[in-house]
Amino acid sequence: MSSLLANPLATPSQLYRRASSASLPRDVDEAVYFATQCLTQVAGRLLQLPQSVTAQANVLLARFWLGESPMAHEFSDVSAATIYLVSKLGPLPRSPRDVSNVYAYLSSANSALFPSGELPKDDPRAYYQTEADYYAFQQRILGLEARILQSLSFDTQVSLPHPLAITYLQTLDFLSQPRTTVSLRTIQYLNTALLSPQMLYITHQPNALATAAIYNAARDLGAKMPEHEWWEVFDVDREELGFLVVAMRSVEGWMQKLKEDFPSFGNNMLKRSMVEDELNRRGLQVGNGDNTPRDEEDEVMRMMDSR
Amino acid sequence: MSTKPKSRWASSAEDAEYEARQKKEKEEKRRKKALKLQEEEEKKKALLAAATTISQSAEANDDNDDAASSSSRPSKRRKLTPEPAASNNSSATLLRFDIGTWKPSRSVDNYDKLNDIEEGTYGWVARATELATGRVVALKRLKLEAGDPNGLPVTGLREIQILKNCRHRNVVAMEEVVVGNDVSKPDNSIFLVLEFVEHDLKSILQDMPEPFLSSEVKRLLLQLTSGVAYLHQNYILHRDLKTSNLLLSNRGLLKIADFGMARYVGDPRPKLTQLVVTLWYRAPELLLGTRTYDAAVDMWSVGCIMGELITREPLLQGSNEVDQISKVFELCGVPTEDSWPGFRRLPNARSLRLPKQSPLASGSVIRARFPNLTAAGASLLNSLLALDPEKRPSAKEMLEHEYFRQDPKPKPESLFPTFPSKAGQERRRRHEPDAPVRGQAVALGDVDFSGIFQGRDKEERGAGFSLRMV
Repeated sequence: MSSLLANPLATPSQLYRRASSASLPRDVDEAVYFATQCLTQVAGRLLQLPQSVTAQANVLLARFWLGESPMAHEFSDVSAATIYLVSKLGPLPRSPRDVSNVYAYLSSANSALFPSGELPKDDPRAYYQTEADYYAFQQRILGLEARILQSLSFDTQVSLPHPLAITYLQTLDFLSQPRTTVSLRTIQYLNTALLSPQMLYITHQPNALATAAIYNAARDLGAKMPEHEWWEVFDVDREELGFLVVAMRSVEGWMQKLKEDFPSFGNNMLKRSMVEDELNRRGLQVGNGDNTPRDEEDEVMRMMDSR
Repeated sequence: MSTKPKSRWASSAEDAEYEARQKKEKEEKRRKKALKLQEEEEKKKALLAAATTISQSAEANDDNDDAASSSSRPSKRRKLTPEPAASNNSSATLLRFDIGTWKPSRSVDNYDKLNDIEEGTYGWVARATELATGRVVALKRLKLEAGDPNGLPVTGLREIQILKNCRHRNVVAMEEVVVGNDVSKPDNSIFLVLEFVEHDLKSILQDMPEPFLSSEVKRLLLQLTSGVAYLHQNYILHRDLKTSNLLLSNRGLLKIADFGMARYVGDPRPKLTQLVVTLWYRAPELLLGTRTYDAAVDMWSVGCIMGELITREPLLQGSNEVDQISKVFELCGVPTEDSWPGFRRLPNARSLRLPKQSPLASGSVIRARFPNLTAAGASLLNSLLALDPEKRPSAKEMLEHEYFRQDPKPKPESLFPTFPSKAGQERRRRHEPDAPVRGQAVALGDVDFSGIFQGRDKEERGAGFSLRMV
């Protein structure tokens, strides 16, 4: 039964290999990771999927990118494929057509994801998809679905820390705080951690994530925590807890810095071409076999964006 | 990504200072110790040179310098463990979940096909050897619809996930999933590598000249039930239990296979399709179109399998849904509000016309149909084939049933007869309906069952009774 409470984790050698054979400079790589995870979250909202589904898509994407260069496929396609796959396996399947529409909208100039001051007026023409567009999208997503499954050896199960965190909070009697306040804060930490480029969900077990989120929530709210080493009750040692507490707290500051470092990345859907431009600006070559000709679909998207 | 070796979160200025001090102290100690050791070493050498204490040290213990030094001058205290960390030296044992990592699927080229075993509706199965080890396995290819707009079939993905998570001696083990070589094509072949088991129960039943002894039936049922209990305990419904999905090894070990219909049912219960379970093993609530069913549908199938193990013939061989439900009513009696409260509210039951309620017609004839079964056996079969799913025992309850404790006792697996393997040479035969597929839902419509028991009262009663087959 442990598979319901635990996840397979990245090994140090996998992490090392990823870091050493990275096709992108570290800061760009992290920016790409963050932007794509955010995109998945937003798409999950528009597809009306519960966070329990979208969060699993975030985790699958992290697992997939551990072994695969992010530059091998368009970021939004990988995001779409993971969310499609996870929703299919869960209680609320979404059709490829729905997924296609949502991603077309999000990457359009009309998208509310990248506000330029005020919300743009809804203009369906901006995200209209022709049959051919849809077909091309669907082919890419299904190809990626197979690809993702193979690189994860078909293990799609993700155990999330969210339910555990609530159980732990109950055990701690909600630290004598209002239940909703402390639960909300805890869940917020867990959700933010999904976006962390430190890939916390594939390096730490749910029980540790849950405990660290509770610790952070308690700190924020000034709640009194038990005096002894209560985290050991949840099978977390001090070292791991400390690391996670800092990692979770640091995401926000890191995001601020990201905005300053990559002002252009926040303006519209992040694409491989934008990353290539950034690398060219720095005078770097794109590594790791990204020699695939640019997709026709991307060209169309670009044209739409620039309208 | 990279974990810091030191815990940064706690490093306030004082902490750092404290740590530095600790470190210094430790360093100091280590230095002193080294010095002492050196001194000892020198002394020892001197002693050796004098050659006076050799016999003494040999007497004490001659295996290492520790002994030697202790003989010369016992050091007060020799630390074998590193000094405990400054603050937290807790000895709490923390539960660790280690379920490994993930890596890309291997290629099917690691296996060499020996022969086909069967090609059914749900795919193709072959016997193969792993080239590296020579181990014999069963390769099952996931059936993919070319150009399916929804991509890989969700049933296949569920089957993989469930088999991956299951580990029980009565559930077939999956070793890995391997793929064909068109890696980025959506319709690249996918193969499940399963442990190879020699027989399936269906072929054995068809070919055996004599039925299983009741001790054998008991052992088979016990194994089936403990496998089913394991699945249900782990929130898995199999939804296609039948003898052709039960494998039997040459060592008498039964294994539940084919999880193509299986799925996890959590809480809240997901919407479930009624299109499950091969017709002959399908529970009455499914036939009547229920939308909310549970583990009891598997228990009905277990009941059908129990009957089949005894007689070697599938118990309820309906030719279609309507025929199936009438066969069920013939055997188990017609439901009444008493025997199955609320059955009238099921979608397909509203328009059913049932025979007039007479005690004769509404009773079950299971006892009569299995005259050789003991009272305990008959009561078990009766409860498994209860029309009301609420009245069927759970798998766990069934394991405790009187029937398994009575003589003859369940036969040990090791004493099971062996059977010539079909899978070795030829394909398995099938004369039964297949598991349902998408889009086959049948509404029973207006069906008149009032005639199914006509002539029943003219049949003989008592021993030797057999239901007239229409």
